[in-house]
Amino acid sequence: MRSRAGMIPLLVSEIVSETPSIVSVRLEASDGSPLPPWVPGAHIDVQLITRHERQYSLCGDPADLTGYRIAVLREPASRGGSYYIHSFLRVGSRVWVRPPRNLFALSEAPAYLLLAAGIGITPILAMARHLAAEGADWRMSYLARHRDGIAFSAELEGLGDRVTTHISSERGRLDLAGLLADIAPGTEVYACGPQGFIDELAGLADALPEGSSIHVERFEPKPREHRPNEAFSVVCSRSEVTVEVPAQRSMLDALADAGVSVGGSCLRGVCGSCALNVLEGLPEHRDSLNADDDSMTIYPCVSRSISRELVVDV
Amino acid sequence: MGEPDAPTTQKITDHLDENCLAFLAHSPFCCLSTSDAAGNCDCSPRGDYPGFVRALDAQTLVIPDRLGNKIADSMTNILDNGHVGLLCFVPGMTETLRINGTATVTDDPALLAMLEQDHAVPDLAIVVHTEQVYLHCGRALLRGGLWDPETQDLAAEVPSSGQIWASMSGWDPTVGTAIDDAMAGAYKVLY
Repeated sequence: MRSRAGMIPLLVSEIVSETPSIVSVRLEASDGSPLPPWVPGAHIDVQLITRHERQYSLCGDPADLTGYRIAVLREPASRGGSYYIHSFLRVGSRVWVRPPRNLFALSEAPAYLLLAAGIGITPILAMARHLAAEGADWRMSYLARHRDGIAFSAELEGLGDRVTTHISSERGRLDLAGLLADIAPGTEVYACGPQGFIDELAGLADALPEGSSIHVERFEPKPREHRPNEAFSVVCSRSEVTVEVPAQRSMLDALADAGVSVGGSCLRGVCGSCALNVLEGLPEHRDSLNADDDSMTIYPCVSRSISRELVVDV
Repeated sequence: MGEPDAPTTQKITDHLDENCLAFLAHSPFCCLSTSDAAGNCDCSPRGDYPGFVRALDAQTLVIPDRLGNKIADSMTNILDNGHVGLLCFVPGMTETLRINGTATVTDDPALLAMLEQDHAVPDLAIVVHTEQVYLHCGRALLRGGLWDPETQDLAAEVPSSGQIWASMSGWDPTVGTAIDDAMAGAYKVLY
């Protein structure tokens, strides 16, 4: 069972049905004390009373630190978290969170194109509100399969005509390539949505104008093939211990067994909470965060080692 | 023994209502009873994150088959004879939920993916179609003091698993200590 060490206990203060399959949940400290600050793109680890732990982007107002707002899609094939939240979470229910982390922060750019598909609206909504308040040059496209799948419509209307919605059941597939071809050089693209949408966008990266790049956030691991697990050793340079990682055990679990605690939340290589720097050796990346195979940042919840030995800074 | 009261039999239904679904969603432990075609019975413990016995609908449950002793009694029994009984517990709660029904064994990848926990997807799962569902009163657990913290000291009086194992296998008692050490390591791997 997962521990709650270091987590902040919060209470559910409001649950709003945003669409037939999306609820937003507001979380507050029981004594009303302010929560750790965040900027758009940030997510929190949320642990339920059942100890299921999931990552959710913050989609409320960063200026309001009396509460965090997340939104959760009802997943028919839920692994437990979405099912519990939709069926059993109530106002007054207790949850535990870790301070916000941000792997999807906005960088400085002359212009922004925000793309949200389905539940991917959550970080994008916070970004849109921020860019609007800053007076930035931005546009946003929000894709949903059906009209009743559009969440936060009142809030989006308040952001004016920079926001367009695209209902694919009414208008067919959105021409993503055309959308990207139209952007001004230097425009930064931020996208969040389901697997297929992110994969399609990744395939269009070459179509971007000079100086532009696409930033994506995934909530499901990239599907990938990998070689069979083999045992390897991890030399922890600061703790001065060497840990054997058996073939059937994750590097994160093996480190924890040896008393080397490196956090970890999603355990699927998407949240980034267990990141370690590799000092020597050849890591075998199985995460969904590293953009290239040469990265010296390893996520030990899923990743392993090609070399017999890996030296990490921990 | 007498006959059960009418209110007792009335509370038996064939499906899980909202309250029973909530019970299951918070239950981390149950006992699963099965029997083979000849009626030889078996009962085995099942435990995991609360809600691990997942309701797919009001009459269908799915139970992941996690790492255990590799004696697949439940599985082979179910293949022989689908009748199963479940007794589900919520820590701290004296009432238990009893579910009887008919089970099948599945390796459907879509179903198994839903049962992923701590990056482990089970190889098999048990699907139960419910036929009888009812809440069992709390007297047995109250009489036994099951959730009373003071009863936890009983465990220290019982021979260790290594000692029991060594004795039942006819091994030297010193082997028991080695087994206990080995089990302490093995228990770190739960999935």
